[in-house]
Amino acid sequence: MTQKGLSLQLSGVSKRYGGFTALEPTDVEVHAGEFLTLLGPSGSGKTTLLNLIAGYVEPTSGAIRIGERDVTHISARHRNIGMVFQNYALFPHMTVRQNIGYGLDVRRLPKSETARRISEVLALMQLDGFADRRIQQLSGGQQQRVALARALVIEPDLLLMDEPLSALDKQLRRQVQLELRRLHLKHGRTTVYVTHDQEEALVLSDRIAVMEHGRLQQIGPAGELYDSPSNAFVAGFIGESNLIPVRVRAVAGTLAAIEADALQLGFEASAGPGVKAGHPASLLIRPEHVLIDDCQEPAKGVPAEIVEAVYLGELTQFTVRLRSGHMITARQIAGRNLKVGSAVRISWKPERARVVEENTTTQKEEHDHA
Amino acid sequence: MSKLPLSLRIAANAGCSLVLAFLVLPILSVVPISLNKSSFIAMPPKAYSGVWYGRFFADPEWHSSLVHSLEIAAITTVLALIIGTLAAIGLRRVNGRLRVGLTALFLAPMIVPVIVTAVAFYRSALDIGLNGTIIGMSLGHTILALPFVVINVGISLRTIDPNWISAAEGLGAGPFVIFRTVVLPHIVPGLTGAAVFSFVTSFDEVVIAVFMAGYGNKTLPVKIWESIRLEFTPVIAVAATMMIAIAIVLFALSHSITPKADEAPQ
Repeated sequence: MTQKGLSLQLSGVSKRYGGFTALEPTDVEVHAGEFLTLLGPSGSGKTTLLNLIAGYVEPTSGAIRIGERDVTHISARHRNIGMVFQNYALFPHMTVRQNIGYGLDVRRLPKSETARRISEVLALMQLDGFADRRIQQLSGGQQQRVALARALVIEPDLLLMDEPLSALDKQLRRQVQLELRRLHLKHGRTTVYVTHDQEEALVLSDRIAVMEHGRLQQIGPAGELYDSPSNAFVAGFIGESNLIPVRVRAVAGTLAAIEADALQLGFEASAGPGVKAGHPASLLIRPEHVLIDDCQEPAKGVPAEIVEAVYLGELTQFTVRLRSGHMITARQIAGRNLKVGSAVRISWKPERARVVEENTTTQKEEHDHA
Repeated sequence: MSKLPLSLRIAANAGCSLVLAFLVLPILSVVPISLNKSSFIAMPPKAYSGVWYGRFFADPEWHSSLVHSLEIAAITTVLALIIGTLAAIGLRRVNGRLRVGLTALFLAPMIVPVIVTAVAFYRSALDIGLNGTIIGMSLGHTILALPFVVINVGISLRTIDPNWISAAEGLGAGPFVIFRTVVLPHIVPGLTGAAVFSFVTSFDEVVIAVFMAGYGNKTLPVKIWESIRLEFTPVIAVAATMMIAIAIVLFALSHSITPKADEAPQ
């Protein structure tokens, strides 16, 4: 199992069900051997996108290529993909060996080859000795590994996973995340992974595609999404963030002149894509970039009051209230003696503040809640 | 339940026993009647003998009617299983009003009075020359047996996770392989039940059979119905006993098969 899998290219792929748009026209490219995570809340279109790639759903428009092959109108059966389902979808009337061998039997591989590949993948997934167990005799974590083994043993061009860890308890999930990452680094096969868990996405992925309301919001390496999110949704979904509503007076290159009523001041900050003068926008400051100053010198920073202090080990997380009533979260190296109720001033380095587009999809949110 | 006072429990048990006796005893009474030595239907018989069983098998009309019934029931079972299973699978693939409408259509033979179905089928069969043929009667019985197959197999199909099908497809399996390796093992209990119901439905069916039977291929129920008006002898009780025995054997068989098949999907 040395092959890396193939590349994947989606151009203008969309899916509509009657009047409902599950996926807006989307372009995604995944390199051979890359691990891409589709991250988003439920109803964001991430599972639709995965099913389109797998061939379980036919696109309304656009084209899908796996490697050099146009597979837009080819069914899942002929796409040579390995899929791991959320509930694993293991065949309960078969043993572990029969489950894993299913794809090989269907391909009518020689008996010796089948046996060799099964024992290889059993060893890889640390399932030796479980081959003749029934599925219901396995723990959740073992079932998850069998599902992955069944998908890998056919040496798929693409490995697709639909929230494969959501049925595991938190501790086990952590462990399996690291195992998956190690497995990918070792045997790297092109992988598209769906999750709503941002931490999982950060641990596993080479790149993350953030989705919301059937639309790809941003795609890039985790660091890029964290440091320069393209809008308030991405900023809120990746990592923790303070988002303060602001008005944009002018944009010049990567700088924006803004006015923030909440802060009762105007200043300059770096501008994300799509930020336009006169449009509502949000100022993003990550909690670790908020500086808290307890000396009472006026004119230095924004006056605020500490309303909560939570000890997190090496960090302490403070919640401060601005005079406007807005709450700001700040994380400081532990050891600072800031009492709840004390008056402070908060500030940040200008390069750490970023102006991002407001969410433009509020009317759709209501639709989702209905 | 067990907290009921003793007196009430005794009364409840007695009541249940009475109802059961009322339901079962008249049916079982044909067994001693069939063993009567004399040529009258009498209960209890004064003397016992198997003479009427000999008569049953010696008379080619009785004997061949049993064979016809078994043949027709077997053909009916096969046809109903094939069509009904396909229908049940199809019904899972459509949604909304179409599913409700089609389900009603497939279950209609259970609700429509049999005499109406019989007359309609008789009239249609005349046009294509099916009257008086074994296959004609089998087709008529298939209509009546279909709902049992659609219901039984439909229930079994609900135990199948649609993702199993998707998984098999993604692993490269075609529709027939998926049916054989994933679907079939899970619907064996449903198929077994459906087969028994189909067989018995056809085996004891008399209305359609009366319309469709030709002179040379009467079924056992038709022969009983005819005979009861001409010769009121214990041979009729013999025929009835045979029918009861076959039904009991079939249900016992399906029971002994089903639990084994049940273990697999769990």
